[in-house]
Amino acid sequence: MKKIILLPIAFMFWLPAMATDFVELRLSNSNKVVFKFMFRNGSVSDPVGQEGLTFLTTSLVGDGGTTTLTSTQVKDFLYPMAAQISYSIDKEVAILTFEVHVDHLEAFYPLMIDLLTRPRMDEGDFNRLKSNQENYVTQVIRTSSDEEYSKRALEDLLFRGTRYQHMPAGTVSGVAKLTLEACKAHYQNYFRHDNLTVGIAGNYSPALFNRLKEDVKKFPPGAPKLPDPVKARQPDGIQVEIISKKGALGSAIFTGAPLAITRRDDDFAALMVANSWLGEHRKSYSRLFQKIREERSMNYGDYSYIEWYANGGGNMLPPSGVPRNANYFAIWIRPVQIAKGLKQQYPELSDITIGHAHFAIRMAIRELDLLIKNGMTKEDFELTRTFLRSYIKLYAQTPEQQLGYLMDSKFYGRKDYLAEMDALLAKVTLDDVNKAIRKYWRSDAMFITIVTDESEAGPLAESLRNNLPSPMSYSTSLKESLSAEILKEDEEVATFKLNVKSVKIADSNTTFQ
Amino acid sequence: MKLIIVPLLLLAGGVLMGAGDQDTPKKILPYPIHVHDMPNGLRVVTVPYESPGIAAFYIIVRAGSRDETEPGKSGFAHFFEHMMFRGTEKYPKERYNEVLKSIGASANANTSNDRTVYHMTGNAEMLEKMFELEADRFMNLKYSIQDFKVEAGAVKGEYTKNFASPYMQRHEKMRATAFTKHTYGHTTIGFFEDIVDMPNQYEYSLQFFDRFYRPEHSAILVVGDVTPEKVNALAEKYFGSWKRGNYTTKVTPEPPQTETRYVHVQVPDFPPFLGLSFKAPAFSDSSLDMPALDVLSNLLFSEKSALYKKLVLEERKVRALSAGAPDSRDPYLFDIQASLVNASDLQYVKDEIMRTIEQAKKQPVDPEELKTTVSHMKYSFAMNIDNPDAIAAALSNYIWITGDPESLNRTYANYEKVTPEDLMRVASKYLVSTGLTVSTISPEETGGVK
Repeated sequence: MKKIILLPIAFMFWLPAMATDFVELRLSNSNKVVFKFMFRNGSVSDPVGQEGLTFLTTSLVGDGGTTTLTSTQVKDFLYPMAAQISYSIDKEVAILTFEVHVDHLEAFYPLMIDLLTRPRMDEGDFNRLKSNQENYVTQVIRTSSDEEYSKRALEDLLFRGTRYQHMPAGTVSGVAKLTLEACKAHYQNYFRHDNLTVGIAGNYSPALFNRLKEDVKKFPPGAPKLPDPVKARQPDGIQVEIISKKGALGSAIFTGAPLAITRRDDDFAALMVANSWLGEHRKSYSRLFQKIREERSMNYGDYSYIEWYANGGGNMLPPSGVPRNANYFAIWIRPVQIAKGLKQQYPELSDITIGHAHFAIRMAIRELDLLIKNGMTKEDFELTRTFLRSYIKLYAQTPEQQLGYLMDSKFYGRKDYLAEMDALLAKVTLDDVNKAIRKYWRSDAMFITIVTDESEAGPLAESLRNNLPSPMSYSTSLKESLSAEILKEDEEVATFKLNVKSVKIADSNTTFQ
Repeated sequence: MKLIIVPLLLLAGGVLMGAGDQDTPKKILPYPIHVHDMPNGLRVVTVPYESPGIAAFYIIVRAGSRDETEPGKSGFAHFFEHMMFRGTEKYPKERYNEVLKSIGASANANTSNDRTVYHMTGNAEMLEKMFELEADRFMNLKYSIQDFKVEAGAVKGEYTKNFASPYMQRHEKMRATAFTKHTYGHTTIGFFEDIVDMPNQYEYSLQFFDRFYRPEHSAILVVGDVTPEKVNALAEKYFGSWKRGNYTTKVTPEPPQTETRYVHVQVPDFPPFLGLSFKAPAFSDSSLDMPALDVLSNLLFSEKSALYKKLVLEERKVRALSAGAPDSRDPYLFDIQASLVNASDLQYVKDEIMRTIEQAKKQPVDPEELKTTVSHMKYSFAMNIDNPDAIAAALSNYIWITGDPESLNRTYANYEKVTPEDLMRVASKYLVSTGLTVSTISPEETGGVK
């Protein structure tokens, strides 16, 4: 059933618009103007063997010069204004955002148009930006945050063999092959008039908007042919990939499974309620957080997602600018302790062979399983819906966020996603939610990625592969204070059967090649 | 190039000034700040701001890792921030979570060297509920020993996630080396051995609450779709019975440093890193030392600086360069950070930074360059205060530093007063090798930087 729904819907909306779209949001009390240029290209448009090309091309536009000004001169010009230029590249879009105080709008505007339509594509800038990108894919992603590492590794696994597989920043071999000529060609082919949505928000005049509409005609005409639509792979049971890394302090875990719907589907509202109850991002009252962190002290937090959530470690509220057609459901289990660390901390745990990862995975999947079987209660449904109807209004508090959400709405064929979701939430029923849970989620088939220490990888793989019991290993002091109810539930969790079909160990040095 | 510079300077000259009818510059925060002091010592600050239906509600407690003066108790202010979500008699944790959820707010807390901030942004119509909920836990927090032990594990989980980053490992070592006596020697999350021991510190946690969660150490700040009358009335209603305490932290001052100190973190396959941390002054809005250092950090190390252009854009030996001195209650650090391409350039980059600093001590900066930099700083701020939460976050910084939210406006006014001579003076006074701690990350066993 999941396969049937995804393909036709994704395909229908994959086709790019045939002219530049505009989104306007005039805010007469604002002291600034925000411009956003969203190109329908993204990392899926990277040619095979040149993974990272859209990222580097966008960087050259956003962090480069114009045909008349070098990047240094651009920085000098913008400095006293504190005008901000930022860019983001995701799977299906690249977005350049410009923010300027109204005092400087007139001076800033022509430079912005030049940067976008007459980029310098300078060799020095290319070498600098390519080197930074190489540094990210070869070193930073693997050594800075094990959480982000496991999240990117999950996408690599979910979309293996598709144009969605690689990180927007690219692969080690792909970035190495990028040339300035390739960036210039990619700009001409994929940053065009008809695969562009332009947004403007803030305190601007109608005359400026008209000028903007004229100026975007300077982009190369037409629209690129985009790659065929992609969807997440359907896992055969539970498939685990453990990334063995020297010196990891904990086990960082992500799970994911294809999800047939996106924001464009009305069912999304029902699933939002279920997901919020199960694992609302950074909320202490969600179920996974309660079970794994609040009751058992296993880690810093545990959440679930029904769409890509950029920079979850830093963002409290979901940012705009990452719209996608290929969707998946995910559970994020933040780093839990490994055996090596627990043994050092507590003498009474000297004989354990694995840390908390297997237990935490069992606990999370069991909670999902219980939710699918039992559904939400009326009380939980009402409270969660009330929460969401207030909470989603906080997603777009600034002009930049408001504009971003409106532009994402267009991507999904909606006019105002947040307002429309609120209306859908108002009329969704408990029955709708419980039906959606059963229709879109399952607990017996998902991919799992774990970044962990090399001392933990082998024993953990063995434990997962053979569904061995994984009793929770508390310190004596903590265990003494836990209730009988929790300890009894622990026993059930420790032997909860997971439908594990394969467990592989990969060396950290071999990832994202 | 010339064509560009002329309008640029004209623009810079008029930065955020009045429309010509005033001699004094406008305040950087263009909204009135209403302050109400309650008899129990609690300060209540309100800033009405047009954000239909939304308000940011902050409670600032002037207790942070600086106040962890007893051995073995590092990280306790942060740990206590976690405990504040564990409920009261009226609202046990399950009920607290339900009510918090029903408010539909974005709520959290964070701790740093000098303070702990609890914040909640959400529906302004729920303001009274926010007050009720917050007043209850600030005055009547009650948690079981089981909850206490369990929460300690979450802090360990936080440490585990954070310290996957070599930057955090460097930061921890650098602090412990730069400060030998002052509590700034440990990071906010604390030493790992103290975190492991936290479950055994239940009694101390009660003492910590009793000491610091008092009105004289706290302030309430509300920004958004509210009036000061309403906020003040709610504060009186819910926080009026909060009793004063009598504890004052006695922090051992850091003795003067006499020579350069060094720390190193060895990590293979990680971008080489250089940190130069100079002893810097405490925040003050009555002295120009800190404003001058803020300006200097932009002039010497921002994307506009000559050094950035040389090391990052032209030579491409450095990927990122930044500097700054965080506002702090006691003398802290002026930090310069560089992420390098090759570890073999660590010494070269350090020499270039020191050369730039020595030049700044002797050579006055071009006044136009100074104006441009101050313009940048002021517009950066003005551009970012576009929602209640951002305004509250900015104001809270000055409330915990000086207790007075007007410090924000005074600080930005001070930037206008900084002269080229001030810049030379603070560079000579603070950016000296006897107050320096050099920290490095590289694949080598030692940093190898002199």
